[in-house]
Order: sequence, then structure tokens, then C-alpha cells
Amino acid sequence: MTEKGSPARLHAGREIPHRAIADISNLPNDYSTTPGGSIFSTTPGGSRIFYERNFLMQCRNSPLAKTPPRNMAHIPGITTPGDVDIPKENGVVEPKGAKPQKVEGAEEHPQFEMDI
Amino acid sequence: MNNKFEALKAEDSSGSGDEEIEKQEPESPPRPPPKPGPGEHPLQYNYGFWYSRKSQGNKSASYDANLKLIGTFASVEQFWRHYCHIARPSDLNGHTDYHLFKEGIRPMWEDSANKNGGKWIIRLKKGLASRCWENLIMAMLGEQFMVGEEICGAVISIRYAEDILSLWNRTANDGVTTARIRDTLKRVLNLPPNTVMEYKTHVDSIKDNSSFRNTDVFMR
Repeated sequence: MTEKGSPARLHAGREIPHRAIADISNLPNDYSTTPGGSIFSTTPGGSRIFYERNFLMQCRNSPLAKTPPRNMAHIPGITTPGDVDIPKENGVVEPKGAKPQKVEGAEEHPQFEMDI
Repeated sequence: MNNKFEALKAEDSSGSGDEEIEKQEPESPPRPPPKPGPGEHPLQYNYGFWYSRKSQGNKSASYDANLKLIGTFASVEQFWRHYCHIARPSDLNGHTDYHLFKEGIRPMWEDSANKNGGKWIIRLKKGLASRCWENLIMAMLGEQFMVGEEICGAVISIRYAEDILSLWNRTANDGVTTARIRDTLKRVLNLPPNTVMEYKTHVDSIKDNSSFRNTDVFMR
């Protein structure tokens, strides 16, 4: 609040630009929107929920993402609802003791994060 | 580039072209539509995770019969719950597909959402499937394609000599949409500039009963 150049001094006298729009057609196409529609728009049909990859990857580590899904079909060799150890494709079950402890980085790691 | 993989020919047909007639109701979802739980991040759409594997003994078993819905989800967290309990694409073998489709759309050419549509196809060397699949579905779930309602779903197809990513959209003859999807695919998958991209309409797939043959090839 007590910086040397207060905002008032730095921007003294500059008014907020004011443009009068006579007709809706004078609005620029990109007025207040992001490509594909605005994230912040709340009009029905106009709002979309975007997520960047990094954010999605972070959510993977959330406790909410760890519980095994209910209602998941059980397909041997494909899904493992509630199981911790995954048999390998060739039928060899990983030795329990020899399971390497996962060191976590969000990316490029095996998909099976079974620590529940 | 087309027809390069002869091995594929014999086993490549993942549609049910021979049974347009019997429009049987899918084992109508006994499950209620998923909802985001408290504290979870909702997705723009609900999705279903599907699995199919060409049956070995009974070659004539229909595609539809081999299609299994693994689960449905409505939030980012619910997606991960499923994803983390499903084998990675690169751990699969045989003639196997994962399909991630918007809820209500079956991963079939004949579905009403797909019948005027088509798909972009990207052929992957062995070893890339898991990473590319993950990048593709991250982009789809996060609404990175910016084509309104056009995206129907994504598929990873594990095959003998290669793996194949597909992204299905509703309107095959909408050039603006398909071009935008193609450009976004290149970006999110980090494809080299000279990557060959192929597009095939589902109408053509039904005609030749093949998913990946006789595609339209686009060089950059």
C-alpha cells in the first residue's frame, strides 16, 4: 500500500476507454470470448468445462481418484476392481515382496497406482 | 501407406456391417447415469469405457457381441478411478480395442450419433500406444478440441504389427470441424510435421466392412 509509485500516480489521468456500440454487429467477433466459447460464460450451451492435461494429471493423485470404482465390469486380465496386485498378461503374478515401491511423479509412470 | 500391413487385412474389421437389420437394444444400461461426487471435478460430458476383443474361436461372433461396457463416469476423479484399474493398452495383446465414448453413444458405426460421421486414424509403432492413448483421452475429456458437440469418442486398437488411435466425430463432411480436429490431434499428440493422417467415414467402413483399410490419406 505504500509503494513508491502508487497506482494512482503511475496511471494518473488515464481514463477507462469507452466505446459506444450502436449495433450488435459492431462488436468484434472475439469480444470477451475464448476460442470455442468462453470458459466464464454461463449462458446455456455457451459454457464449457475445459481442463488442461497437467491439471487432469494432478487430479490423479487426489484421494478421491484412488478408491476403486463401483459398478466396474470385471474382465479377467483387463479390469481389477478393488484388487491390488495385477497379474501380468502372460499369467505370471508379480512376487508380492518384490514389488518395487513407486516413486511418484505425475507423469510417465505405470498406470497402475494401486495404493489405496 | 494404405494397405501397408497385410497382416491387418485378415483381421481388420471391427464393425458389425452384417447386421444393420437387427437393431437390438443394447443390454440396456442397468446402471444409472453417473454423477460427479462431492468435491470432484465435473466433466463436460459423461463417458463410458468400453472394451472389445475379437473372439478367437468363433470368428463370426459379431462385433456387438464382443463389446463390453466396463464402466461410466462423470468427473475427472471417477475417470481416474476406472483408468487406474484397467490394464494399459501396451499390456494388451491380440486383437483388442479400448473405446472411450460419450455416454449414450455406442462405439459402433451404426449408432445414430455416428452414422454420418467418420474418424481420424493415426497408426502408431509398437510401444507408443499407452502414452498416446493417454494424451488423446486427456485432450478429449478436457474439451481441447473446440468443436462443439462433434466429438463422439476415442479408440485405441491393439493389432499385430501396429497400434491404431482413432478419434470419431459426428459429421464426416464438415471440413472445418475435421480440419480442426486434425490440427488439435497433431498438437496434443506431439506428432511430427510429416505424420500421415488418415480419415475414413463410417459409411465407407460399413461398405467395405473394415475400420482401417481404404482410408483417405492426408499428408502435411
